[in-house]
Amino acid sequence: MSEDLVLTLRAPLKAAVDCSGLALHAWAELAPADVARLPVRMVGTDAVALGDLFNVRGGKGGRIRFSGDLARAESLGAGLERGDVLIEGNVGREVGARMRGGRISVTGDAGWGAGLELAGGVLEIGGSAGPRAGGAPLGAKRGMTGGEVIVRGSAGAEAGASMRRGLVAIAGDAGEGAGRAMLAGTVVVFGATGPTPGQWSKRGTILALGPVTPPATYRFACSYQPQYVALLLRHLGDHRGLPVTQEHLMGSYRRYSGDFAELGAGEILAWTRD
Amino acid sequence: MNIRGVFIEDTFAEAFTMRAARLVITGATPRWAMAAALKLTGFATSVIGCKCEAGIERELAPSETPDGRTGVSVLFMVMSKDDMPKRLIERVGQTVLTCPTTACYDGLPDAPDRVGVGSALRFFADGFQASKVIAGERFWRIPVMEGEFLVQEKFGMLKAIGGGNFLILARSAAAALAAAEAAVDAMAGMAGAFLPFPGGVVRSGSKVGSRRSKTMIASTNDAFCPTLRAVTKSDLPEGVNSVLEIVINGIDAPAIARAMRAGIDAACREGIVAITAGNYAGKLGPHHFYLRKIMAEGAPA
Repeated sequence: MSEDLVLTLRAPLKAAVDCSGLALHAWAELAPADVARLPVRMVGTDAVALGDLFNVRGGKGGRIRFSGDLARAESLGAGLERGDVLIEGNVGREVGARMRGGRISVTGDAGWGAGLELAGGVLEIGGSAGPRAGGAPLGAKRGMTGGEVIVRGSAGAEAGASMRRGLVAIAGDAGEGAGRAMLAGTVVVFGATGPTPGQWSKRGTILALGPVTPPATYRFACSYQPQYVALLLRHLGDHRGLPVTQEHLMGSYRRYSGDFAELGAGEILAWTRD
Repeated sequence: MNIRGVFIEDTFAEAFTMRAARLVITGATPRWAMAAALKLTGFATSVIGCKCEAGIERELAPSETPDGRTGVSVLFMVMSKDDMPKRLIERVGQTVLTCPTTACYDGLPDAPDRVGVGSALRFFADGFQASKVIAGERFWRIPVMEGEFLVQEKFGMLKAIGGGNFLILARSAAAALAAAEAAVDAMAGMAGAFLPFPGGVVRSGSKVGSRRSKTMIASTNDAFCPTLRAVTKSDLPEGVNSVLEIVINGIDAPAIARAMRAGIDAACREGIVAITAGNYAGKLGPHHFYLRKIMAEGAPA
């Protein structure tokens, strides 16, 4: 097993750092000294070497581990294609944006747009996520196209906005507008789902395991036990460690179809204890 | 070789390469999973007349199924890769889709060859279907009057073996049946193998071709028909008045050999004269199961 490549923040970041060009998946071929020479852009300054911000040590080909408060590090892990990245602490906006594979685990909170336009792989946030987790950039018609965003805390507004495929699972509460303008895909909320979930969605599923109020543009269809929900929840419980209970697996779900302001082919499945 | 006084002939069972899929059918209760499995595997004894061969491999506990319900594992075989999609789609579509509470999943997730099943059945939903990808696998949700039918998009397909067999040569029909039942019971639930014929037993073993018709690909195995002993070149030893055959299909040779060993051992009982096997002198099938070798491997040291 290869040794971790460890990047420890030398001092708190004084300004936002744009990490979008780092291509972490390519680091498997780089020695720590080569990684330290990679440039990043810091707001208000010219490009700085990664080694000026981080103490870089360890081996190559193994897991990449960031340590320190990275709340001002933006787009860290963007475009990741493969590999395993661990971020110990908080991280800034757009972590794991446009990921295509691999796995990023954040032990703390993540800022705006975590997993924005995610296409593959798994982004796991141990704390809470800011607005638009697993969503689309503002004004864009399409967000996530695959992969999974797992939030162990709560998520801000518009989680999964405009997603086309993939899965956003939130162990806590979801803010206003979860799954807004979804094209397809699935948003699972274990806690309370905020106002206007699934508004303007064409297709897709919002699986609400806590309190939820469907928008007026959704219509009740029936109560039933969809088998795919059991499959999905078993996956989330067994492989993602989310708090799935036997009641979730065995319970009934009230199906609301909508949004009838759009195609009406989407759904909100609201778990009931019956 | 003798086992408890039953002669094991020095011969082999000749078997053929087939293609297999494994279906995991679940239901709200064991009753409904089994109901679908029985229908799906009905009229699937031989490719000669049924286009496919299928059987129940074993019942599955909730912990063994994707959705945590009780289930049944079904093995399904055809002669060629091209046959598989059509046969699976018609069988799953007519017998599982129609059966209350059931869902249907792939039981060969590691097989590299994938056959579209849910991807075709979804059209039954007339545009109301929806798909979900869970852990990299796509499933189709088909609305039905009861609720929703869930079927995996693609099923794995493997090279497999059909036609493993042994013949029970008995002093009487009753003895043959009792030995065959004991053999079937001993082979029940063995992973990777199934018995495609009714109750696991064949009374009408066949030979290739026909004496009278050029169009028939199989006809009665007159050499093993006791009633024809006096009018044909019989292969029956003295004292044999009834013969039953057990046909075993499996996903690989060890699965068939394991089942044959258990079945033959159980069939060696009072009233049985000999155990032999059907073959075509090695000219047709590439898989040869030598009875004495199989039984010697299972003998206690």
